[in-house]
Amino acid sequence: EERRYRSATGAPLWLRRRQHSASCRELAVRGPRLQLRSLSAATSAVWLAAYGLFVLCQNSMVLSAAIFITLIGLIIYLHFVKVDQESLLVIGSLGIQVTSSYASGKESTTFIEMGQVKDVVINEAIHMQKVIYYLCILLRDPDDPQGVSEVVPLFQSSKPRLDCLTEVYRSCQEILEQRKTAPQSS
Amino acid sequence: NSPAPLPERAIYGFALFLGSWFGFILYLIWAYIPETWLFSLGLTYWPQKYWAVALPAYLLVAIGFGYVLLFGINMMSTAPLNSTHTVTDNYAKKQQQKKYQEEAIPALRDIPISEVNRMFFLPEK
Repeated sequence: EERRYRSATGAPLWLRRRQHSASCRELAVRGPRLQLRSLSAATSAVWLAAYGLFVLCQNSMVLSAAIFITLIGLIIYLHFVKVDQESLLVIGSLGIQVTSSYASGKESTTFIEMGQVKDVVINEAIHMQKVIYYLCILLRDPDDPQGVSEVVPLFQSSKPRLDCLTEVYRSCQEILEQRKTAPQSS
Repeated sequence: NSPAPLPERAIYGFALFLGSWFGFILYLIWAYIPETWLFSLGLTYWPQKYWAVALPAYLLVAIGFGYVLLFGINMMSTAPLNSTHTVTDNYAKKQQQKKYQEEAIPALRDIPISEVNRMFFLPEK
């Protein structure tokens, strides 16, 4: 099912939860698509500035350069910056898969096996003059059973607020608890 | 180490007050009195008057730059979101567990983040 939440900056988000089986769950956070009005605003601003420069220096290369920059900038933005959906696939006893889908269709995936996962927690940290809540995976330290070797932050581009994070946290903990009650091999 | 007034502090304060007035009058003399008059008094080896204007200008720019610099240094030394310093530190790693005593207030310790999360977010509404 899908529910509406807000990001840390106020943008609307949608959280979709799917249960594939008793020990497998997928949680996807989707942000708003690229708006036509912001695209038109950016393009008009760049082209008006280029036209102003052209009127000043009478060099028509400025106009072609502005068109080129707008096109290349849009492609780079869609392919490297604009994240459409970030999803978390938790498979009990196998691992956790984190996927980011960009607006151009590119998908970048990371898989962390369950042996390395210590816990999935909601952490608070200072980020750009704000204190934000963010979900992160704590990785186990091979030398120290109680220690944390690495922190992997999740949902970095969409930055959901605490209500959405609590839902995701509860879903993940239900699956992570199963590995404590049913250890197959030690 | 209290900030209460003491006789020594009064003396230091007054000495600083007199010293700063003396320094200011000296600076005004150096900046305004023409060089020829200073030469005729015998004071030939004082710095160029250029510095009477340059040093305050440098100082003001340095103060403004200091604001930006402090802001930037603070941002740089904030731990990034993927560092373990947001979760634990050396004191928490090396802490020793005290034995639990009946009817006593539990000892102060750093609670691991997993436990804190379970307490905050798991109980049903």
